[in-house]
Amino acid sequence: MLRRLLIAALLLSGILGVVGLAMAQDATPGALFNVTNEYTMATVVKVTGIAWFDRMEQGIGWFGQDFPSVTAFQQGPAEADAAQQVQVIEDLIAQGVDSLCVIPFQPETVEPVLQRAREAGIVVITHESSAQQNIDFDIEAFDNAAFGRNLMDNLAARMGGEGEYTVFVGSLTSKTHNEWVDSAIAHQIATYPNMTLVGDKNESFDDPQVAYERMQELLVQFPNLRGVQGSASTDVAGVGQAVEEAGLQDEIVVVGTSLPSIARDLIPTGAVDMISFWDPAYAGYACNMIALTMLEGQMPASLLDGSGLPPFLSFGFPNLPGYGSMSLVDGKVFYGSAWVEVTAENLADYAF
Amino acid sequence: MNWRALFARQEFIILLVLIALCAVIAIINPTAFLSVQNLFRILRACIVIGIFALGTLMVLISGGIDVSFPAIAITALYISTRIIVDTGIDSVPLAFLLGALIGLGLGLINGVFIGIFRLPTLIVTLGTLNLFRGALLFFVGSERIRLSEVTTNLADASRLNLITVPLARGEASLHFTFALLIALALLVWFILSRTMLGRAIYAIGGDREAAERAGFNIVRTQFFIYGFVGLLAGIGGIVFGILSREADPFSIVGTELDVIAAVVLGGALITGGRGTVIGTLLGVLLITVISSNLVLLGIPTEWQRFVIGVLIIIGVGIPALQALRKRRLRVQTA
Repeated sequence: MLRRLLIAALLLSGILGVVGLAMAQDATPGALFNVTNEYTMATVVKVTGIAWFDRMEQGIGWFGQDFPSVTAFQQGPAEADAAQQVQVIEDLIAQGVDSLCVIPFQPETVEPVLQRAREAGIVVITHESSAQQNIDFDIEAFDNAAFGRNLMDNLAARMGGEGEYTVFVGSLTSKTHNEWVDSAIAHQIATYPNMTLVGDKNESFDDPQVAYERMQELLVQFPNLRGVQGSASTDVAGVGQAVEEAGLQDEIVVVGTSLPSIARDLIPTGAVDMISFWDPAYAGYACNMIALTMLEGQMPASLLDGSGLPPFLSFGFPNLPGYGSMSLVDGKVFYGSAWVEVTAENLADYAF
Repeated sequence: MNWRALFARQEFIILLVLIALCAVIAIINPTAFLSVQNLFRILRACIVIGIFALGTLMVLISGGIDVSFPAIAITALYISTRIIVDTGIDSVPLAFLLGALIGLGLGLINGVFIGIFRLPTLIVTLGTLNLFRGALLFFVGSERIRLSEVTTNLADASRLNLITVPLARGEASLHFTFALLIALALLVWFILSRTMLGRAIYAIGGDREAAERAGFNIVRTQFFIYGFVGLLAGIGGIVFGILSREADPFSIVGTELDVIAAVVLGGALITGGRGTVIGTLLGVLLITVISSNLVLLGIPTEWQRFVIGVLIIIGVGIPALQALRKRRLRVQTA
């Protein structure tokens, strides 16, 4: 009975959760249910000491505060190295942790060790790894197609819905980049008929210098260019620099996936107009929240056996921005809508 | 100098190729190519590769080859940036001084192996290329540093221009480090053509034993060459950092072949003894025009590599053919 009530509460609050999206920044999301059992919950990141995962560690800290009986901590190799990450996970299995949240550096390399973890009875959740096999669940911050459409909406709004634009991807084989850009282009064709895509997809190879040089060429090649959508986190940095040096910050709109720590100097001048990303603190929190739900036996049975699932199931954590309502795909991957938009107005709120 | 002698000089041929290439691009896409914006873009792209090329020229003239300069450049840039961040002394001149000193130090390591142990230059610098870069990544760090996140003056240096020209839409500007390239080119020209040291460098590359008998101190000259090349690489690294607004330990390495290609195209003999500053600058300009303007002709990026490859083969082939013909002539007359 209690359990059914809880699930009902979860479902209801999932719907309300979207309303809670506009919550204040650095507050802890707040415990959804009381947990008295003691658990040791580890989060394994790709690499320690970079701003992105420092921010994630903050989210793990909030999780520990919200659930005092839980020992939650974050670990990772000192270098982004697949073998070292495996070693960290091995050590944690030996220590007998109750759950592992892993952000794999190389998904295929961690498969065997994740399998051993599950055999040892450890709950395994991954993030940014939607094709992972040996897991209970994977959690993704957002659906890539929706994210791409949102970038296009931002680009179009600032371009007044008309003019020439072009797109950048890390490479033509970067799966997520191309999903963002393809859905953005399809969305533009359907919604903004007065906008025109010029040139092919530009490849930056995740190098701001390449993006910079390519953008300089594009400025010469397409003198009427009015908008750019970037994909790699460094794209808008290179593109924005070229725009700034050409004195075109007011003429050309630049939006894309990036981080404040990469584009901070370009946003106030208008060389880059808007960047979007997901907040690793909330992603880390959500990862552990799902793990805790599993450990407490609170995960709805229909989600566990995959039987008769509706295509979109509202399930989530009301106070966690972007994860209030998630969809479950293939019985394994949760998608939130946890993107953050940063412009000159809220740039100062983000240190990473 | 008569016309025949002029055509025998590779500097003149490369100038003709450059003019012909520019003419073709200008005819096909005049509005895009013949603009201040495009001119400044090409000149800016020449700065870092040009500074590296000046060092490479000196090494090639002396009969050696150095492939380690990109590793020296990135190590100098990265360590200088870290020192500036850690000490809080946010000064552009200090960055250049640190970069030059670190570059000099690393270059002298090459000098020890090459001058004292007399090891082959390619082997030594291939080794130190990996050694310096590996040490940088392992001991110092591999994290990309965005200059504007940690410095103010150094970050602002990327916005410091020699000239800014207003355009109908936006503006075009030429970065101040272009003046640095010109100054360094003059310095290298002066050393090579107006000093005994310069004579020694040519002499070693022409015939090492003859140079030794003529009384040139080969070890000391080689120490100078590799130290100076390191110093230039260090300065080039700092310029790269300012222009790209970041210190990324994974950048620069990989540019060495384009730089060597530019110098060889500019008439420096890979076997040593010949090469000029003006030829090198023309070679740099040619490589830059190719790699940044073929897209204006609608030629895809992959073809740029192809064209550069063809030009190198021609560039190296012409002097080789000339040398072969001279030798045949000599055999016939003998």
